[in-house]
Amino acid sequence: MIVFDRVTKVYPGGNTALKNVSLHIQKGEFVFILGHSGAGKSTFLKLILREEKATSGHVLVDGKDLSRMKERQVPYLRRNMGVVFQDFRLIPSMTAYENVAFAMRVTNIPEKQIRERVPYVFELVGLKEKMHKYPDEMSGGEQQRVALARALVHSPELIIADEPTGNIDPELSLEMMELLNAINSVGITVVVVTHEHELARHFGKRVITIENGTVVDDSSRIMGQDNSFASFQEYDQQEVEV
Amino acid sequence: MMLSSFFYLAKQGLGNLIKNRLMTFASIGVLTVCLIITGVAGLFTANVNSLMEYLRGQNELVLYPQEELDELGLAQLDAKLREISGIKEIEYISKEEAMERMKQSMGDKAYLLDVLEGDQNPLRVNYRIVLEDVGALSQIVPQLQAIEGVDNVLAPVELSDVFVNVHKAVVCISVGLVVVLGFVSVVVISNTIRLTVFARRKEINIMKYVGATNGFIRMPFFVEGIAVGLIAGVISAGIVLGGYQLLLMNTSVFPAFWSDMVTSILLPMDQIWWMVLCGFLLFGSLLGSVGTATSVRKHLKV
Repeated sequence: MIVFDRVTKVYPGGNTALKNVSLHIQKGEFVFILGHSGAGKSTFLKLILREEKATSGHVLVDGKDLSRMKERQVPYLRRNMGVVFQDFRLIPSMTAYENVAFAMRVTNIPEKQIRERVPYVFELVGLKEKMHKYPDEMSGGEQQRVALARALVHSPELIIADEPTGNIDPELSLEMMELLNAINSVGITVVVVTHEHELARHFGKRVITIENGTVVDDSSRIMGQDNSFASFQEYDQQEVEV
Repeated sequence: MMLSSFFYLAKQGLGNLIKNRLMTFASIGVLTVCLIITGVAGLFTANVNSLMEYLRGQNELVLYPQEELDELGLAQLDAKLREISGIKEIEYISKEEAMERMKQSMGDKAYLLDVLEGDQNPLRVNYRIVLEDVGALSQIVPQLQAIEGVDNVLAPVELSDVFVNVHKAVVCISVGLVVVLGFVSVVVISNTIRLTVFARRKEINIMKYVGATNGFIRMPFFVEGIAVGLIAGVISAGIVLGGYQLLLMNTSVFPAFWSDMVTSILLPMDQIWWMVLCGFLLFGSLLGSVGTATSVRKHLKV
């Protein structure tokens, strides 16, 4: 699903955010990206979203090389992934329903389909009763679930959660993680970016630790489940579909 | 883009006009002022052009043959006059004819001239010559003077030169004004729209992350910019045309002699209103959309 092949990112001004990072996240995996602030997590996210381009090396998402992707193809890349931001990024002047419908509208989806799909995703995240409320009238946990509903509405193959526990209560974050787990169980790849060790270790999933721009630890390798590394070498020998 | 999304986006754009009332008001105000000044400059130019047309119609000169010339001499002179190019019309006016015209111009005081009839007639035989182009006046006058048997040529050479120069200057200034004001309008519009874009950068950011194309994001702003341009166009056309109508209705404030000329020079309303309106709507929507395009671009880089 996501391949980093010797990726280095240097920002204008000389700040090196990632140094020669190689990793492979497979379709259907549940992965934590763990790191302190400034370790390179945000850059990692920005590269996957193609908000930034790698200075050297290749980033592939779903087989597509993002460094060779044209600007106008980027929107279509993003429609295949759902992002839940730490600050939720909901539009305050719209109800929860409208916020989710908005994500569909801006991608040219017919109104009829929107009316069917939006209540369904609200049911998935357990917020159907509150979907006509405004973000201000909701708790942080509820707002986050609205953001998750919005991320899910395009039936993406990849869900990225940026610090999902950053702005909500501990009990709620557990609830959130369970939701993400449920989403993962139907085959959607889930990437959770966090700085909380406890959270990452608690679930017994693969944890990729980034420090000072390099991968210092990848739990799946240490635990002997070296599938990711093997498949990376396998990928290396394949023709890359762009 | 599907029709339903087009309507959705157009609705968003128009909704934003109302949501950002103050900004909309400011944009429309500035654009209206720019359009009015541009429009006044344009109308002024159009009227100076019309004045030039009027002068072209008035490009008469009067040629006096030498008094001792007999009929044969006059016939020869007549033939030579017709050889000169650039002349539209030549009219021979006899002494009697000249007196008749003078009487006509005197109106009810014509009886004063009664004593000057017949042998007492002091007026001279002359030719009224109409040129094709008033600009050629200064070249044709010397040619006429060079013809044998010509005593004197009366022509408004200096006047016509002044008008030709004034015309050039007015056109230059008007074009300059339109260019400068057009630029100012684009800057002001793009600044105002930049503020609305800035106020909604969060929304734009979210749109980018959920996979909206740049065209889709830009669309409501375009609708907004064009709507501002069209509204400003209608308002300024109304003001400019209203002012012009007032001017047309009050030509009597000019001194009697001028008032006739002004009335025949000023372009009538039915000839200009549609030009002004179409021009303003086109110019307004163009400025509105260009202003938008320049201000949205920056925020699309996410």
